[in-house]
Amino acid sequence: MEPRKDRVEERAAEQTGSEVGTQTPVEAPPRNGGTEAPEAPFRERRKRPRISETPPAPPPPPRLDDYEPIIGKPELDELRFLARPLRGKTVKMVNSTSLGGGVAEMLNRLIPLLSELEVVTRWDVITGGNDFFEVTKAFHNALHGGEYVLTKEARDIFMMYNEQNRQRMQFSEDLFVIHDPQPVGLVRSRERNRGKWMWRCHIDLSNPHPDVWGFLRPMVEEYDATVFSSPAFSRQLMAPQYLFFPCIDPLSEKNKELDPAYIQKVCDDFGIDRSRPIVTQISRFDRLKDPVGVIQAYKLAKKYVDCQLVLAGGGATDDPEGAIVLQEVMEAAGEDPDVIILNLPPWSALEINALQRASTVVVQKSLKEGFGLTVTEALWKGKPTIAGAVGGIPTQVIHKLTGVLVHSVEGCAYQIRYLLTHPEFAEQMGKNGREHVKENFLMTTNVKRWLLLFQILLGMVRKEKTT
Amino acid sequence: MATAQLPAPPVRWARAPFYFNSAAHLLRIEREKATTLGELLAALRAVPSESIFQHTFRTLQEHHFIREGFSNDYAHWAFAACNEVGLAERLASVDVREFTSVESLRERIVQIVQDYLNRNPRAADRVAMEPFYFCASDAVVVPTPFVARNLAEFRDCMNQVSIHSIHYHFIEARLRLKLNSNDFSVWLESELDMGRIADQFNRIDIYTSTLQDVRRTMVRVIERALHSQA
Repeated sequence: MEPRKDRVEERAAEQTGSEVGTQTPVEAPPRNGGTEAPEAPFRERRKRPRISETPPAPPPPPRLDDYEPIIGKPELDELRFLARPLRGKTVKMVNSTSLGGGVAEMLNRLIPLLSELEVVTRWDVITGGNDFFEVTKAFHNALHGGEYVLTKEARDIFMMYNEQNRQRMQFSEDLFVIHDPQPVGLVRSRERNRGKWMWRCHIDLSNPHPDVWGFLRPMVEEYDATVFSSPAFSRQLMAPQYLFFPCIDPLSEKNKELDPAYIQKVCDDFGIDRSRPIVTQISRFDRLKDPVGVIQAYKLAKKYVDCQLVLAGGGATDDPEGAIVLQEVMEAAGEDPDVIILNLPPWSALEINALQRASTVVVQKSLKEGFGLTVTEALWKGKPTIAGAVGGIPTQVIHKLTGVLVHSVEGCAYQIRYLLTHPEFAEQMGKNGREHVKENFLMTTNVKRWLLLFQILLGMVRKEKTT
Repeated sequence: MATAQLPAPPVRWARAPFYFNSAAHLLRIEREKATTLGELLAALRAVPSESIFQHTFRTLQEHHFIREGFSNDYAHWAFAACNEVGLAERLASVDVREFTSVESLRERIVQIVQDYLNRNPRAADRVAMEPFYFCASDAVVVPTPFVARNLAEFRDCMNQVSIHSIHYHFIEARLRLKLNSNDFSVWLESELDMGRIADQFNRIDIYTSTLQDVRRTMVRVIERALHSQA
């Protein structure tokens, strides 16, 4: 049974990933976010955003050699060396969607690179009916700590579809990587073969609903290893747990180097004055990203320093709450001509890239966060970054070294003022931030982590005794 | 006017070449976590040595681009999450290069925390702003194509190898060698009889330099030696 399109889209929303660019494609709204209110005078002098109204075809995935200017030849040689013993080994990766979401986005990049390294990797997607994906969505929310009553029916639906997929799929590979809870039951096939099984959990399990976790846990315990995005997201398990940070692809549309003329064009299109400082937050219009708090911080900072504020994100068109938050943001901005609010469609990766690169300072004042890949993106672009000290952000932002952490509107305002008036400090922090990403949060680093884990599980390596 | 050309001094060749390696690391999440300094102390005594290695030697490598700040994860946590600046400073003063085994490094860190808690008993149970999660590192040695047989080749390799290779030979090496030295210095002294360069390498301050700075300093030292040879 094939999943219906609407289910696929919902599942995409369940996936972790960059906050912008994972929603259902929608038509580009007008600058005022589609509200009935007449445009304020300050907006009339701006051009409408020139964003295409249909998603462009994705570019072909990069090849390994394309990364050499970024990570250097020794790093690429290391990847090739680590892949050598795995040549001819086969890997199956399974998740619940091939469209949208951070996991699918990551697999779309990871699998071609592993295949280029001759580690033959097959990507399978589980199928299920609406009932299955309703259950898995409820599980997803419950695993994040939401209220839920786990019924026998939900358990049966979950197991039935896992069993159907298990019967449908072949499990002849050497290594199996199962992503997230939806296909976790496929591990029951391990009795039939000799492969090694890994469960890659992309979600935060720090505070799971006890009944749902109690139901899933026996299946998780059958894996040879588990992989989490943060130590804080993990659980106590019998099998070894590994830490793979989420990562960005430096060659993706959202992160690749851009022609300065293109950056200028995007700024011109959006009416952003590059001769003056630009403070930017890229995020969905979601209260947990605190866009109103960012406006308050900007207003406090602006008493002392001249700047413009760009709030760019999506989610206000297809998400009813997003539209309400956008309205709140518009009200908080008032008639200030230097607050530029952009509700962008999901295929705006290049424009977002340009906005980040044009920024003097990037803010991510989240109140709650997963890993915060928009922070990773800003750091990668060498931007001095101010971010809320929540979720995975402190892993990326080491206070005053790779960025600054804030806990309040006032703290955010002070840091905006400080960074705009201390450009040398801001520049050094930006350089450190980029190095931090290069070391820890790039796609190529994750390729290396997978190769190492595969080798360790297959007993191929002599571990260095460092102690 | 013709000038008499002096013959170039003979190149000193190593009996055994220097093979540059590197190490790839995979992070494991350990079971232990600490929410107070008392819990940190208990876990420090219990965690596997790979965990002590991760939070000291490895964190130095992971943050090789930073000159400032605290040099190990315990010091950083004591400062940022516990607001215990005095303890943070003492932990940060631990120079991993003074230790040739992780167990002796563990003893030193335990001693610092224990002493601090003896003097500040109320700090033991104060809840930190965020927990300390113990991790550990699985390391795999990775050979590189770089091989040096003399000082000039060594300089060329130093310019090209990854930062991780420098960390492997220059910082991690003492755990393998059980010596207060490093692979580079040992080779330079034993194979090329260049004890002076070896000593200069050992005096490089890794806590106020990035690993790129370390590389540049080493190359500068070698170039001076090559120049004086010429």
